[in-house]
Amino acid sequence: MTGSPKWRRTLLAAAAAGTVFASGAAMAQAGAEGAPEGEGASYPKGHYGELDALPDWGGIWFLGRRPPAQAAPPPPPLKGDYLSRLEQWRAEAAANDGVVRRTRSNCSPPGMPRIMQLAQYPYEFLFTPGRVTINQEAWMQTRTIWTDGRGHPKDPDPTFMGHSIGHWEGDTLVVDTVAILEELEFAGGALHSPEFRVTERIGLSEENPDILVNHLRMEDPQALAEPYEVTVTYRRDRENTLLEFQCSENDRNPVNEDGETQFD
Amino acid sequence: MKNVRLPLLALSLIAGALVAGIVPAAAHHSYSMFDMNKKVVLDATVTRFKWQNPHAFIEADVAVRGQTEHWAIEMTSPNNLVQAGWKRTSLKPGDRVKIHVHPLRNGSRGGSYAGIVLADGSKLGEVD
Repeated sequence: MTGSPKWRRTLLAAAAAGTVFASGAAMAQAGAEGAPEGEGASYPKGHYGELDALPDWGGIWFLGRRPPAQAAPPPPPLKGDYLSRLEQWRAEAAANDGVVRRTRSNCSPPGMPRIMQLAQYPYEFLFTPGRVTINQEAWMQTRTIWTDGRGHPKDPDPTFMGHSIGHWEGDTLVVDTVAILEELEFAGGALHSPEFRVTERIGLSEENPDILVNHLRMEDPQALAEPYEVTVTYRRDRENTLLEFQCSENDRNPVNEDGETQFD
Repeated sequence: MKNVRLPLLALSLIAGALVAGIVPAAAHHSYSMFDMNKKVVLDATVTRFKWQNPHAFIEADVAVRGQTEHWAIEMTSPNNLVQAGWKRTSLKPGDRVKIHVHPLRNGSRGGSYAGIVLADGSKLGEVD
């Protein structure tokens, strides 16, 4: 859970020992935009054995429920125009029975970081040499986290998932994500600038190895007065697998011209 | 009938929503179209059971004061239903069941699934 001693120990140990798992990390200086030449995720052969040193994240994972007694996290500390926009959004929702108008189809995914905070639909985490792949059942969404030592591209295309690079600090996967599309809210009514950055620290709970904890830290010098931190947990199920999700084949919730979700 | 207790599904949705934002918003779409504080029990004959993402669905003929109404009941995701004991074969057309639902706010014949008493008397979800 949040701030557990294991997390701190792991991070301290990693910092002290300079622990790096990714095989290509030492060659990170080569190829600023991509993986090092002749190395990295595109050259997996000979590196599969190294994956055995990684923690056991097998099975599928459902977002943890917040205990009823536990308070909700505070809203993001927005500033300037971003704060004004949030206040306007709240006022509109309050005047409309709490209903938030949607500007996109319900078959359109939320992007980062909300994709990591989805109820109902589980996740899986796949390890291959030089990369971690996160599949989210909803909308059959895939995140790629490059762990082969590459950096972010100089001018990445903004996308729903952004561009993610990661490394292992002990058993903790540390992920840095940039280039998330500006028009995607990162919390209810909260937009961000192109400088928005998400750092995730993902690792098994010390108290319960069937709980995976993700600490998300969001930073944005234009939109946020200070970093915004959210912690979510995922519960393991080793017996089931992700199911197919073809939204357009069973979309019974179209959005009308007023932004209201319909029940078809 | 009024029932202020939220079903497990609603709790999980709200938990997720509170993580993500301020006004409750569910995973695939908002649940604000349903009156989650109200529950009705449908005396129903299943006409269709759709086991598919984003949401499983039950369509049923419901007896209401001597008339038959056709209802559509939205469920959570199949994978979430598996966690609660459901299978693709749990329902089939013709099954006589009692379905507990949170009805649509607009009064249309639809709702959000809360629980069910199956033809053999077994129960799934919240049926109290």
